[in-house]
Amino acid sequence: MTPDVGPREAALRVTNLHKAFGSLDVLRGISLAAHEHDVIAVMGASGSGKSTLLRCINLLDIPDAGEVHVGGELIHMCFDRRGQRTAADPRQVDRIRTRLGMVFQRFNLWSHMTVLQNIIEAPIRVLGVPRRRAIEQADQLLRKVGLYDKRDDFPAYLSGGQEQRAAIARALAMEPEVLLLDEPTSALDPELVGEVLKVIDDLAAEGRTMLIVTHEIGFARAVSSRTIFLHQGMVNEQGPSRQVLDEPRSERFRRFLSGGNWGRAALTTPSQTGGNE
Amino acid sequence: MDLTIVWESMPRLLGGTVLTLEITFLSLLAGLCLAVPVAVARLSYRRILWMPAYGYMLYFRGTPLLVQLFLVYYGSGQFQPLLDQAGVWFLFREAYFCALLTLTLNTAAYTAEILRGAISAVPRGEIEAARSLGMSGLLLYRRIILPKAFRLALPAYTNEAIFLLQATSLVSIITLLDLTGVARIIVARSFEPYKLYITVALIYLAITYLVAFAARHAERHLSAHLRERPVEGVAGASGR
Repeated sequence: MTPDVGPREAALRVTNLHKAFGSLDVLRGISLAAHEHDVIAVMGASGSGKSTLLRCINLLDIPDAGEVHVGGELIHMCFDRRGQRTAADPRQVDRIRTRLGMVFQRFNLWSHMTVLQNIIEAPIRVLGVPRRRAIEQADQLLRKVGLYDKRDDFPAYLSGGQEQRAAIARALAMEPEVLLLDEPTSALDPELVGEVLKVIDDLAAEGRTMLIVTHEIGFARAVSSRTIFLHQGMVNEQGPSRQVLDEPRSERFRRFLSGGNWGRAALTTPSQTGGNE
Repeated sequence: MDLTIVWESMPRLLGGTVLTLEITFLSLLAGLCLAVPVAVARLSYRRILWMPAYGYMLYFRGTPLLVQLFLVYYGSGQFQPLLDQAGVWFLFREAYFCALLTLTLNTAAYTAEILRGAISAVPRGEIEAARSLGMSGLLLYRRIILPKAFRLALPAYTNEAIFLLQATSLVSIITLLDLTGVARIIVARSFEPYKLYITVALIYLAITYLVAFAARHAERHLSAHLRERPVEGVAGASGR
């Protein structure tokens, strides 16, 4: 390794991110930094830009302005002939994406492949890992998320919780530096939420760097080191999770936490959903 | 009823059937290979790609196959010096080649349209998942989009294959001795159109049945991942 320029380079740094869809400003200047081993919970009412923030980080959506650094490497942007902002080097984007694992709300497993095939696909095809090595690694991950006995099943045979655990294993198979989780439990039946949160909790305990968009307040308090609250495309409040979740300073965040505009939050707050460390 | 004429003609009819099957199979194969890039080009946002694809599909789906056959077979004669210069006249001289070329271009246009729809129907989320793992371009198409699109396209494509099988009967008009062509000659000599054409019809029917049967099996095999889901699915968009 070459010596770092700064004291400690952030695993992920987002600077002044803007994104509008048509006339709707979804992100209005968001900055954040995740250092190694940080687990950052991103909260906010629906429409506050949480998912868009994650999608702009790995360029599934192209931010209108702002910078993203991954492990100190800036994702280069430019403007195409029509004046649309776009990635300057698509290959850099592909490369950066392999370093950012993404877990989607709706899992997005490839339905025509078995669980195992889903997991080994990208390591083999994108990273060039030898097939046998990829399978060994996938089996290890499947044991870790408790799905080894489902490795040869198609996603349609799995429950939502199992699908999401498989999707997490798929993301982990790339050995990403940062894991982006976009409401990983929002599409699940209540009784399936726990098994997925448990897996994420284990990842946090391993020291994985994660950015989690979540509505599970108890889980955020138990697992995340920092919480960021978005409101109307801006960071409304942020700080150490226990501190800001227990004593929110802004009126908005207080209302959000007490279920003012999010019914379920009120139900989740008293009983902690996540396994406490 | 005296079926002697049918029995006597059977070897020649079966010989014609071989040619029919050959032309059908070869143009389906070539057509599919051509349809994939055309469909992908059609879906591109780059004008230089989608506009030619659009024009090609519009022409071959918007004009009668018989006219296309005449254009290639008779029309190419007018460009003989040019084609000679290009060294391909010996191909265009052959009715067999003209038929194959026309049928290929025709079926490719229809197949491209089927594929275009199927590619658009591939769940967006699954494509985004692939992108998020660093897949893009050809790799993304080859491993994720096309395998899913082919599955979605199969029922409509079976239809196209059956249609093409029937459409090959037109090549008898440009002198080829396919199943229909053979029958026409025998009828002209024997004056027994009813018995012969009903035999021909039954042979086409039998082939169609076999194609449909094979397609049903392929479909069941390829959609194994969609059946018997125990929990209400999330990938509903990928269903039929």
